[in-house]
Amino acid sequence: MKLTRTAPAPVAGILLSTALFFQAGSLNEIAQPGQLGPGFWPRLALIGLALACVAKLIVDVRFAYGERDVCPALPPPVSRARLVAGIAFIGLYVLLAPFIGFVLATVGFIAAFMWLSGARSVPMIAGNVAVGTVLLLYVFIKFVYLPLPKGDGLFESFTLALYRALYLF
Amino acid sequence: MDIFANLVIGFANAVQPMNFLMISLGLLIGIIAGALPGITMINSIVLVLPFTYLMGIVPALLLMIGVYCGGVFGGSITGILFNIPGDPMNVPTTWEGYRLNRQGKTQYALGLAIMSSAFGGLVSALCLAFFAPPFAKFALGFSTVEFFSVVVFGLASVSVLGSSSMTTALISLFAGMFLGTIGTEAQYGVERFTFGLPFLSSGVDFVAVLIGLFAIGEVLEQLVGAAPESVPETSVRKAMPRLPLLDLWPLRWPLVRGTAVGVVVGGLAGAGATVSSFVSYGLERQVSKTPELFGKGHAGGLVASESSVNGSTGGAMVHLLCLGIPGSAATAVMMGAFLLHGIQPGPLLFTKQPVEVFTIIAGMILANIIMIFMGYVAAFSFATLMKVPAAILNTFIVVFCFLGGYALRNDLADVWMTMLFGVLGYVMRRYDLPIAPLVMGLILGPMAEQYFLTSMLANQNDLSVFVTRPVSAIILGIGVLLVLWAIMKAVKGRRSALEELVMQGQMTRVEEG
Repeated sequence: MKLTRTAPAPVAGILLSTALFFQAGSLNEIAQPGQLGPGFWPRLALIGLALACVAKLIVDVRFAYGERDVCPALPPPVSRARLVAGIAFIGLYVLLAPFIGFVLATVGFIAAFMWLSGARSVPMIAGNVAVGTVLLLYVFIKFVYLPLPKGDGLFESFTLALYRALYLF
Repeated sequence: MDIFANLVIGFANAVQPMNFLMISLGLLIGIIAGALPGITMINSIVLVLPFTYLMGIVPALLLMIGVYCGGVFGGSITGILFNIPGDPMNVPTTWEGYRLNRQGKTQYALGLAIMSSAFGGLVSALCLAFFAPPFAKFALGFSTVEFFSVVVFGLASVSVLGSSSMTTALISLFAGMFLGTIGTEAQYGVERFTFGLPFLSSGVDFVAVLIGLFAIGEVLEQLVGAAPESVPETSVRKAMPRLPLLDLWPLRWPLVRGTAVGVVVGGLAGAGATVSSFVSYGLERQVSKTPELFGKGHAGGLVASESSVNGSTGGAMVHLLCLGIPGSAATAVMMGAFLLHGIQPGPLLFTKQPVEVFTIIAGMILANIIMIFMGYVAAFSFATLMKVPAAILNTFIVVFCFLGGYALRNDLADVWMTMLFGVLGYVMRRYDLPIAPLVMGLILGPMAEQYFLTSMLANQNDLSVFVTRPVSAIILGIGVLLVLWAIMKAVKGRRSALEELVMQGQMTRVEEG
């Protein structure tokens, strides 16, 4: 494996841990003389992290210029489009939940993610959306008393109406 | 003789319909709550506390003990089936159990988890009955110095050894330790690395991290088609657990070691089930003849961690019953129940109220026997989900992760944290970075910090205290020896692999010539 592919991660690790190490120094201002202070433990962890990154860099350099035969293989290829779409759907789910409410966000997410995962039967998707969402609401609102996001404005009214219709209140 | 007589009376009380019902109900609640991500065993004990106000002390405590024993086991079901550990203590079980599940050995893994958990719980309850007072005296001699040594032992043994690359394991470990320092520091009350974000002031919740790293990371990996091994078609019948009494025999030593670690570590106030599960898993990895199979579906690792988790329940009760000091968060809530009923747990409890005490101990023994059947039914119910197509299952896993993250503090920031760590979990899997050390660093790191700083404060920053106190020196010494032994084994293995490569190269040249 080329050094240009493997080196950036440990180098970034060294730079990040160095920056955080200096930031942690300011934490110790509160400590009395003779005390280790609140910055001691994070600094210890950051020193460990930086040293481990240096060791990884050395190993990578050795692989790049020496023992090429035992160099680890590249990870198998994956569908990048599905990965990006999957992360985007999950992100949108969390992003929209406070605005449109948990119910509508979950309905949209289940339908979209099932489709992305390969489900193509509309009745199956619809059935899972309906039964799954209602069951989740019963378990987590009626029994666990979880105050799930209801949404804003109109969406909140919709959520409350649905809760009343399902006898959740 | 008194102990036997009291135990018989205790059993006679525990099988009374009301008491028996409370144990069974507690187990059911505990197993289900333990299996749901975000609802920890502690949450479920706290949730049942108000219902105990109107009960007598014995049924109240039996209900809580049922929840306690069921809760520590419940998290392993979803860990094995879906890679979602219900509680941090179920993480080592998840590492091995989920891999066994992916190899088509679901019923074997579930059966082993049920049996080893019940065995650990049974033995620890018996230890509680027979050795509680002397053990409590011994455990009282432990200070933060010894606790620090135990935690370091757990950190070192699990994190660094057995991984394919020690450098990546160390990076992961120290990154986890650093993440564990984020939030308000306990001793000085200073906010560390919060960058002005209010939700970070209470720290990075390790449950959110666990759910993300394991469950979301796995879902993303399956979504893009990069799962490390092909998933065999698992029918419900195949996923149904069997009770592998005969399968346990070859694993008797991991079972005994795990239980012993659970009883001892669980008996140290403040250590608890999470530390004991990691320590026993690490110890098993050290002494195993096949350490390279750890993380790939090692039955011994699963048995050791699972037996130690439930093995710690009896140990934690020792402190509560004998000294009146709660040894864990769960027993702290139980102490609340004692006090609510006007009973002060402590040294006089065994002499003043032996019937109540031995009914509780008998209840623990019964709970672990009933748990075999309850766990079987619960595992079967969850295992039916294995027949659900991946498209549906993975979608609902993400929804459950949302709910699990949100349930922690009713805050969407925790859900964001869960999802972000999910993406990190995917990246770590993709580039073969070990996840286990990160989790270890995050969970055990803050404990190690607290014990270390307190020890230093109490001993004028004198580091030699860790080697001058005998118990601490022994624990650290064993740890160092095991680490050196494992490193030597790894170096030897690497050397022979290189020699094999050279030999192969020479053979090829000879054949070509």
